[in-house]
Amino acid sequence: MSSFTTSWQSAGPSLDECIKCNICTVYCPVAAVTDKFHGPKYSGPQAQRFRENGQPQSPDHSVDYCSGCRVCNEVCPTGVRIAEINTRARAALAAQQGIPLRNRLLGRSDLLGKMGMIAPGLANFAMNNGLVRAVAEGVMGISKGAQMPRWSTQGTFAAWLKRSAARRLKSADKVVYFHGCSTMYYEPYVGQAAVAVFEHNGFEVLVPEQGCCGLPLLNNAEFAAAEGYHERNLDYLTPYAQQGYPIIGTSTSCTLTLKEEAPDMLDIHTPAAHDLALAVWDMFEWLRDLYQAGQLRTDFNALPLVLPYHPPCQYRAHHLGSPVMDILTLIPQLDVRESAARCCGGAGTYVYKKEKYQIAMDVGQELFDFVAEQGADVTVTACTSETCRWHIESATHIPCRHPIEVLAAAYGLYDLHARRLLKE
Amino acid sequence: MNTNTSRGEADLLVIGAGLSGLMAAWQAARAGLRVHVIAKGAPSLHWTAGTVDVLGYMAAASATAVADPMNALSALPGYHPYSLLGAAQVRAALADFLALTEAAGLPYVQGDGNWLLPSAVGALRPTWLTPQAQAAGDARRTAPMLIVGFSGLRDFYPHLIAENLGKQGVPARAAMLPLELISTARDRNAIHLAHALDEPQRHQALGRALRQLVQPGERIGLPALLGLEDHGATWAALQSAAGAALFEIPMLPPSVPGTRLFQAIRRSLRDLGVRVDMGIEAIRSHTAAGRIEWVETATSARPMRLSAACYLLASGGVLGGGFDSDHTGRMREVVFDLPLTVPQRRSHWFRAEFMHPAGQPVFQGGVAVTAAMQPCHPDDPAQPLYANLWAAGGVLAGADPIQERSLEGIALTSGWAVAQALARR
Repeated sequence: MSSFTTSWQSAGPSLDECIKCNICTVYCPVAAVTDKFHGPKYSGPQAQRFRENGQPQSPDHSVDYCSGCRVCNEVCPTGVRIAEINTRARAALAAQQGIPLRNRLLGRSDLLGKMGMIAPGLANFAMNNGLVRAVAEGVMGISKGAQMPRWSTQGTFAAWLKRSAARRLKSADKVVYFHGCSTMYYEPYVGQAAVAVFEHNGFEVLVPEQGCCGLPLLNNAEFAAAEGYHERNLDYLTPYAQQGYPIIGTSTSCTLTLKEEAPDMLDIHTPAAHDLALAVWDMFEWLRDLYQAGQLRTDFNALPLVLPYHPPCQYRAHHLGSPVMDILTLIPQLDVRESAARCCGGAGTYVYKKEKYQIAMDVGQELFDFVAEQGADVTVTACTSETCRWHIESATHIPCRHPIEVLAAAYGLYDLHARRLLKE
Repeated sequence: MNTNTSRGEADLLVIGAGLSGLMAAWQAARAGLRVHVIAKGAPSLHWTAGTVDVLGYMAAASATAVADPMNALSALPGYHPYSLLGAAQVRAALADFLALTEAAGLPYVQGDGNWLLPSAVGALRPTWLTPQAQAAGDARRTAPMLIVGFSGLRDFYPHLIAENLGKQGVPARAAMLPLELISTARDRNAIHLAHALDEPQRHQALGRALRQLVQPGERIGLPALLGLEDHGATWAALQSAAGAALFEIPMLPPSVPGTRLFQAIRRSLRDLGVRVDMGIEAIRSHTAAGRIEWVETATSARPMRLSAACYLLASGGVLGGGFDSDHTGRMREVVFDLPLTVPQRRSHWFRAEFMHPAGQPVFQGGVAVTAAMQPCHPDDPAQPLYANLWAAGGVLAGADPIQERSLEGIALTSGWAVAQALARR
């Protein structure tokens, strides 16, 4: 068993705060739709008592069906970090049973990204080909219904940065941008929108070398590999943190991983990890702070849209309230309607697993119904998490955008429908 | 930058989403104030019976239940929250709560005096307001009861309930039905079962089964899981299918009636534009010149600052998480470090006897307040500690909500009174 699964410095002690009240089970979106997951209390703190202190066997394999959405943490009245207990339990289970090739692949979003970028057109064709997907489901267990992201056909985000280097703003005020794998390989336009917003507000954007945050690996029980990823990011980014640069990300799950999940799950509580965690900001968290300081430009164009917005579980796990609502509601004529749905169901790589696909669809029904209730003239929705966007889009058949794209559009810098900068 | 700041433009920041905080938020928002509610997690309403206990027993004299709390309030000591609020405010607050639940589609009813409703072990609970679906269980009436449980449903044993009711002079018998009438899923909890019963096919099947069991003149007691989102319609349809009056008996947590009440008030607040943010734990505050400047909350990294014109501490007492203690038993109020009347030594928290009629000291202490519900030093009840801070609900000193059965009543009335005071400013 790996050392990570027996160490209880962070999520572990919170276990003793559990009073077995079952509020987590009331709100768990997965337990509500399937028998395969017994609910956070049973699979988390309760089963954990049997897993601790060198017990060889986990009594409960249903923990594999926990999607890791963290709704249980959000509602727990006594502060038990149930989702983290479950993540560690999955790692312990994997140490006993091995990790399927599928999960190893899904955990490596950087590798998948690079592979697809060798021939993105071909890769997209294959991933949207029914026959290929049927084979992938049969052989690998990758659900054929889940929407795969499309590799960028305009090159990576890094390639765009290089192409546009001469046009980039130079300024004494600098920020570091953490783009994450999806912006790098699939959605470079999200990064372009972010850069445009930074520059519009007078900030020069630094994009130092950086790697995958490691969250998909953590979720797929590969703690050792995730540790390597996090150590690399510490090497790349801590010097910037220590020089006082804010490190700002548009992928809400990446920023959560850098702040909290990786240090906690991997027990990396070094001064460097602490410095990095305190320097990392989620995009809208940082924008709200800028606004609060009276420094955010508010020269917005009217955006006459009804915009259903889903604050993803990962975002709520930052414990920041709703910075996206705080900022988007500044845009004239934009009617943002915040969903109260617990989870879209996608939960990162969860929806891509054959045996979990239907659960993901059933969990998301609450959100899909909310979107439908906002009327037939809704042309776009918004969510801060990339995998959620893909899942919401595939279920609602309505394009789903990152809120930074909406903000860039309101500044008149970005075409929200074509997903491209207007001036480049 | 080592903290970040939320758009702090609220008139009132409510810390805690229990009954006191929610009632204050609703009343203040109705008066036009901008209100923001934050809570560490889901409130303890999910643990309660869903009824509103105002005063069930006079503390330290708990042998007989109070017949009518409105006639008993004047006998409470001067430092009791009800005494500070006065009977007129107590009545007005409870009337507004009835209006709130009526408008939210979860109507509560007031009887002539305290209701006496059966608990999950068949004890009788004196309570002032009940959701309509529990009212027919009133043990002051003599009509016989049929208590129906479900085989395989843990935490609800109809024979135990019937036997205990019988011993207290309430004629009752028990029967069991298969749980498969409601759900064939494995290991469901009460919330999942309640949700399943919202489906017409299921509650019609249950209604037919009940009709076959019930004898003329009987009323039927069932575990509290008669519908969730469509509870009102589900309960009414079941009742007409069964051909008898139906009442719910609350079970162990998670409480379906408490969850319904929380969700109904939360919906009402959403309609008023009030944000209720879960997972936001207030951990400390910053004060200057006798005012609260901001509250800090825990995030995944640096703390967040929340500021507002006024602050309401509604974080609950020992049970609700508003107080914390170290290993020696030194108890502190978490957010503002307010002085507490709780015993500061662990050996003084509890009496040797668990069921002592005088209750347990640890549940009797709390934050002392002025007559206007502003935290004060216990020795100086006229002088608020901070000009813009109020307190309500379980944090308050001067009551023993467990012994008195006054938890929800104090929460609703004190929260309401704070909102009234703020609206007048």
